[in-house]
Amino acid sequence: MENELFMNTELPPPPEMAVHFEPPSSSSPTLNWALMDPNLSRNSSPPQDCFPWEKSTEQQQQQSFFDSALSSLVSSPTPSNSNFSGGGGDGFMIRELIGKLGNIGNSSGEIYGAPMGNNNGQESRSASCYATPMSSPPPPMMSRTTPLTEFSGDPGFAERAARFSCFGSRSFNGRTNSGLPINNGNIVSSGKLTRVSSTPALKALVSPEFASAVSRPMIPAGESNPKLPGEFSRKRKSASKGKPKENPLSTASPSPTFSKTAERKQDWNGKGIKISEEKGGKRRREEEEEDKDEEEEGNKSNSTKPPEPPKDYIHVRARRGQATDSHSLAERVRREKIGERMKLLQDLVPGCNKVTGKALMLDEIINYVQSLQRQVEFLSMKLSSVNDTRLEFNMDTLVSKDVMIPSSSNRLHEEGIQCESSNHHQQLNNYNNNSQLHPNISSSNMMLQSSMNSLETSTLARSFTHLPTLTQFTDSISQYHMFSEEDLQSIVGMGVAHNPNHESQNMKIEL
Amino acid sequence: MASPDKPINTDVPEKNAFALHFLQTLSNLRTQNPFNSPNKTNDRVTKIKKAAYVSMARAAGGTNRLWSRALLRRAAKEDNKIVRLRKKRVTWQRRRRNQRAPEVERLRKLVPGGGGMETSKLMEETAHYIKCLCMQVKVMQCLVDGLSPK
Repeated sequence: MENELFMNTELPPPPEMAVHFEPPSSSSPTLNWALMDPNLSRNSSPPQDCFPWEKSTEQQQQQSFFDSALSSLVSSPTPSNSNFSGGGGDGFMIRELIGKLGNIGNSSGEIYGAPMGNNNGQESRSASCYATPMSSPPPPMMSRTTPLTEFSGDPGFAERAARFSCFGSRSFNGRTNSGLPINNGNIVSSGKLTRVSSTPALKALVSPEFASAVSRPMIPAGESNPKLPGEFSRKRKSASKGKPKENPLSTASPSPTFSKTAERKQDWNGKGIKISEEKGGKRRREEEEEDKDEEEEGNKSNSTKPPEPPKDYIHVRARRGQATDSHSLAERVRREKIGERMKLLQDLVPGCNKVTGKALMLDEIINYVQSLQRQVEFLSMKLSSVNDTRLEFNMDTLVSKDVMIPSSSNRLHEEGIQCESSNHHQQLNNYNNNSQLHPNISSSNMMLQSSMNSLETSTLARSFTHLPTLTQFTDSISQYHMFSEEDLQSIVGMGVAHNPNHESQNMKIEL
Repeated sequence: MASPDKPINTDVPEKNAFALHFLQTLSNLRTQNPFNSPNKTNDRVTKIKKAAYVSMARAAGGTNRLWSRALLRRAAKEDNKIVRLRKKRVTWQRRRRNQRAPEVERLRKLVPGGGGMETSKLMEETAHYIKCLCMQVKVMQCLVDGLSPK
């Protein structure tokens, strides 16, 4: 299958491609510049007539083309420009624009310089986002300086130009190509024509005569493009490696020998989210290794990863041999996410580090959660038996006062004894009434249940011994209040420093 | 490279907040049913347990977490109260139900509100839930230790 894909991508008839690309560009030219790049660069210029000033003569058409290109450059809705088409020359504006454009043009020229050499055979390739600037159709503008004057009238022009300046070469490219009316119906040549990068146009702007001289020869150069597609992918890739950031699509497309079709769909459906391929977790790597043998005939350079994609995209990169349709990509992302979380859980759950395998790890986690829940249950049982009279007092004080003085151990102990007595007193009652319900808990608060029988007797005995103090208890309620306050505070403060041994012991017994 | 969206956040909740809330609810419990009603021991245990869980959910950030939301909702339902939590959109289709691993399903049942979660989300929630449970156990242990006679 991959071989098939490979073949397909390598030798598509250029015209077809041009046709193929057309719809997306026309449908949503403004959505995502990066995505649109390739389409636009080779689009066969959907005949969108947003430029009312277009005329039938060729020159005018050319002019209109230039206008459209420029207007799209300026990143403003084209119709607005049309209003000012007749405006007189505003020298300052023009100069400003020229300066900016010139800069951009230069930069774009640099950017495109690298791929240019490779680009020639690449026409068939979808990914030629960095079109050779020279092959672009400056012809339209060669003849005229008039379009400039049209712009100058536009009040929002400077603003737009400013905005435009920050666009960077990429968006620029997309812009320029978005509205080219000149190529209408000229599918074959459109491939080359549309590669219009702004640079030549700008140069033309600066010196129209020069442009006119240069631009004509350019077209044939562009036409010579479709040849030797086979060798091309590799070269192109190497070229693209250097600057994938400027054009995210280029990163995806240069390694396209496999998966072209699916990827294309994704890239050109105009959505903001671009799922290209992603290289991923271990599993993927394993897969890749397995597949390597099979794919050796294909391109080896695929392993090169592109640098970080722009943040807006969920950038997914498939290794060789991995499925690249959107579903499996999404699935891979999902699995990766899960793996990430599993790692997090692994750190949380004790004893989970030793276990290998997701299922076992999950078992461990489940056990841990269950044990914790049971522990809570157990503790609440304990609490239900413990907190009979004391909590009432504690609450009010706790709510009312925040800062407490740490209580002395003596007082605590004293209080503990008193409370113990009361508790046991009640426990006795409980125990007598329903011994079958929770005999162990109601009978022994702090005792471990393992030694139930022996402890029971001891508790009973103790409670009886403490009974005399119980009589005092009622007298010293006010005192008790204070105590309990401090006690609780200490308890709460104890939170972290609580004895793990005790807990584990309890747990053992509980289990 | 998988998820640049947002970092996984599993902050440990305030144990003081939990303790305070828990103790409050405990005292409320106490006032509701007088302490010398030995027949209701079992009932009281469940109530205390519920109080513990609810206060844990509250301490864990109320409705920010899926599991705490589920806990609070369940608790409120048991109280026959009308639940009004701000709705959150869960964009997750229940697909591949049959294909899921049985372990994950078990975990789903353990974590409150886990039934409707995506698996990765479930893991995240589980992590937070475990942290909260640990905290809860510690605090309750301390309470028991402190309250029970030495």
